[in-house]
Amino acid sequence: MSVLRVRIAYTKLEEAKYIAHLDLARVFERSIRRAGIRMAYSEGFNPHPKIAFGSALAVGVEGEREYVDIELQQDMDLKEIIGRLQEQLPSGIRLIEGRVVAQGTKALMAVLNAASYRITVPLGLPVSEERLQEGITAWLRRGQVPYTRYSKKGWVEKDIRPWIKELTGRIQGDEAVFELEVEVGNQGSVRPEEVIASLCDLENLPLDLDGLNTKRTGIYVSYEGQKFSPMEHEAIGK
Amino acid sequence: MSAKTAAEIRKQVERFLPKVLKPSRYLGSEWNSERKDWELTRVHMAFAFPDVYEVGMSHLGTRILYHLVNSYENFLCERVFAPWLDMEEKMREREIPLYALESYRPVKDFDVLGFTLQYEMSFSNILNMLELAGIPLRTKDRGPQHPWIIAGGPCAYNPEPLAPFVDFFMLGESEETLPELLKLIEKQKENPVAREEFLLKVTQIEGAYVPEFYEVHYQEDGRIKKIEADPRVPQTIEKAIVRDLDGAFYPTNPIVPYMEIVHDRMMLEVMRGCSRGCRFCQAGMLYRPVRERSPETLLRHAEELVKSTGYEEISLTSLSTGDYTCIQPVVRSILDKYSEDKVSVSLPSLRLDSFDVKLAEEVQKVRKSGLTFAPEAGTQRLRDVINKGVTEENLLQATESAFKAGWSTIKLYFMIGLPTETQEDLNGIVSMAKKVVELGTRMGRRNVTVTVSTSSFVPKSHTPFQWEPQEGMASLEQKQKYLREKLRDRRIKYNYHDVKTSYLEAVFAKGDRRLADVLERAVKEGCKFDGWSEHFKYETWLQSLEELGLDPHFYANRAMDYDDVLPWNHLASGVSKRYLVGEHHQALKEITTKDCRYIDCTGCGICTDRGIQIDLKG
Repeated sequence: MSVLRVRIAYTKLEEAKYIAHLDLARVFERSIRRAGIRMAYSEGFNPHPKIAFGSALAVGVEGEREYVDIELQQDMDLKEIIGRLQEQLPSGIRLIEGRVVAQGTKALMAVLNAASYRITVPLGLPVSEERLQEGITAWLRRGQVPYTRYSKKGWVEKDIRPWIKELTGRIQGDEAVFELEVEVGNQGSVRPEEVIASLCDLENLPLDLDGLNTKRTGIYVSYEGQKFSPMEHEAIGK
Repeated sequence: MSAKTAAEIRKQVERFLPKVLKPSRYLGSEWNSERKDWELTRVHMAFAFPDVYEVGMSHLGTRILYHLVNSYENFLCERVFAPWLDMEEKMREREIPLYALESYRPVKDFDVLGFTLQYEMSFSNILNMLELAGIPLRTKDRGPQHPWIIAGGPCAYNPEPLAPFVDFFMLGESEETLPELLKLIEKQKENPVAREEFLLKVTQIEGAYVPEFYEVHYQEDGRIKKIEADPRVPQTIEKAIVRDLDGAFYPTNPIVPYMEIVHDRMMLEVMRGCSRGCRFCQAGMLYRPVRERSPETLLRHAEELVKSTGYEEISLTSLSTGDYTCIQPVVRSILDKYSEDKVSVSLPSLRLDSFDVKLAEEVQKVRKSGLTFAPEAGTQRLRDVINKGVTEENLLQATESAFKAGWSTIKLYFMIGLPTETQEDLNGIVSMAKKVVELGTRMGRRNVTVTVSTSSFVPKSHTPFQWEPQEGMASLEQKQKYLREKLRDRRIKYNYHDVKTSYLEAVFAKGDRRLADVLERAVKEGCKFDGWSEHFKYETWLQSLEELGLDPHFYANRAMDYDDVLPWNHLASGVSKRYLVGEHHQALKEITTKDCRYIDCTGCGICTDRGIQIDLKG
């Protein structure tokens, strides 16, 4: 029986970025058990602990602020939960903050609808700041951006432009650094590396895509033009 | 390959790691992995499992020895697995040598590289890993700057195809002998003596086999004439045995991998050895005598394991867990203690009696995923030949209780190509499967599924069937085809092993030193991961054998004579030749031999002169 539901913000950095999403649930489950915290389980033949994440991070992508909801079958001080759990987590997963949320609060998956990324790409050939800005502006001005993705069903072409909320970039030393904000929804989303690949391709930017490094800087609840963290009261209420 | 430091390797690997399959195979930073200081430890060992991470990490022996070595202040042990093909390709492109997971240090820099030999089909991976490490394959081409290449595990009882590549093998259970060996290496590092002098010291350790002190002479017809031991070393090498299993080292802080591995759970080793005496079974002969752990020890292990791993499942492992005398109280205590934490129990090896089904019912209160039985042969006559002490009645009763208890999926394991097998025995497999299916349907279980799996008999060294030939491939394939047709029923699934793989397995299981050249050539031609059917290059193996003038039939399909000098004649499992010959005779006479834990000593020879006996706790 679930007595307490906590929402925790955490990082997924360094080696932890290689933990696949499905494995991450097991990592949390085992860490919680080692911490001696009793989780709540689903009913039925094959009970599962009630742990629910926000949106999945691709393997190899770091996350600066991710979220998880955990339901417990015991009442416990939030600080103690976080302290005990932190000790049992692999390095790279740091708990940033937590809060108790009411039972019946909408699942993270159901409310999170925007994500921001920082993408760092080495320059293949020298690119001026001006040239980069021109490229970004031209790319954003396109009404449609078809992108061909290989999926289980074979090659599928789709328009990635509607997902893009914001894209900026700058040259920093011998790298280009982009800040990207996209919509996340039930119908899927766009992968950051697809956006940069398309930008390089369509606007002829000579970036070394092999050395591309992506970090998710946040996931949000976007509502009536405003961005909220799922830890905020406003977002939880919505 | 250029010399690279750990830091350089790490930097290069990090660049492409996101692009390889399952990168969490290569992290080395899993929960409970051991990070020891290179400078503060005197002997550095890399423990190598010659298969992919998720297979190697599922092996209990690997886990025991890894933590055992690290429990010594002066020793450091790190892990290395065969990188999957995509990873290997990327490493070779960038000239990254094989490195140990924990520190990214090249394995070439370690003092000892120890391989575990779990199955013959991993031999090619061993050579491939040495090559990837930049270590000369052959002992004679290596110098003091290279690590000692050692190996242990079941295939060390016939390691002859690996003899030119491995400095020495460790026969038997090495919880006690491995630390002894590492101490010897520590001394060697402080005060180096000549290679030969060092190896002579090694031969004094129980179970240590240094192949270069044994010369093999052949007859003109290809059989072995004699195996000549250097006068300074023992004629026969006896395996090492842990005498007090209850007091032996057992790691209760095992690594918890990030990814899902093959056996992803806590392992409680309830006993070692099995005295049922199935005549085809190598493990049943090699791990004698039966030694049980006490319930108190096991419950302590369980408590520590739950605390240190957080795993949700605990498996009671051994060769035949249903035979453990204290199984019921141990299972009951664990279930009582941890049910609140949703820790479940699993029993990997079950017998064919209703007692075990009751036990299974108790541990699987909710999940009725499938129950496995291994009658091994289709008729009572053939089961008597192989000394598998179960009857059709046992099977039907057990499956009836299983159906009654709610299971609807039953798996049945059989072997084909067993000595003396006839058409009737094949028909027996078919009729058994049908009887089980009908029983389930009659008992009102919907979706009854019976999965029949057959593997092809591979004669193994140190068993009563070691002199037996393997049946020819064409005939085995015909048998598989016959079963496929006869088992055509929507409620029955039929799986079978690739015959070519079993054939090559037999060649190496019964092989001698001359196969080393074949192995080396096949690896040069790209053979690796032979146990993975999609990577098995049968044609390349055949070509290699042919080019080196060796006939695979000579090894796999020849009946050996009791007087033949076997390639493993100088390696002793402790079970006497007289017993094996006697058991072979009994097999041909279709007479069974009872388990010595229930009746009198059967005279296998393991206990006599070793100051050891079967150790039951119940």
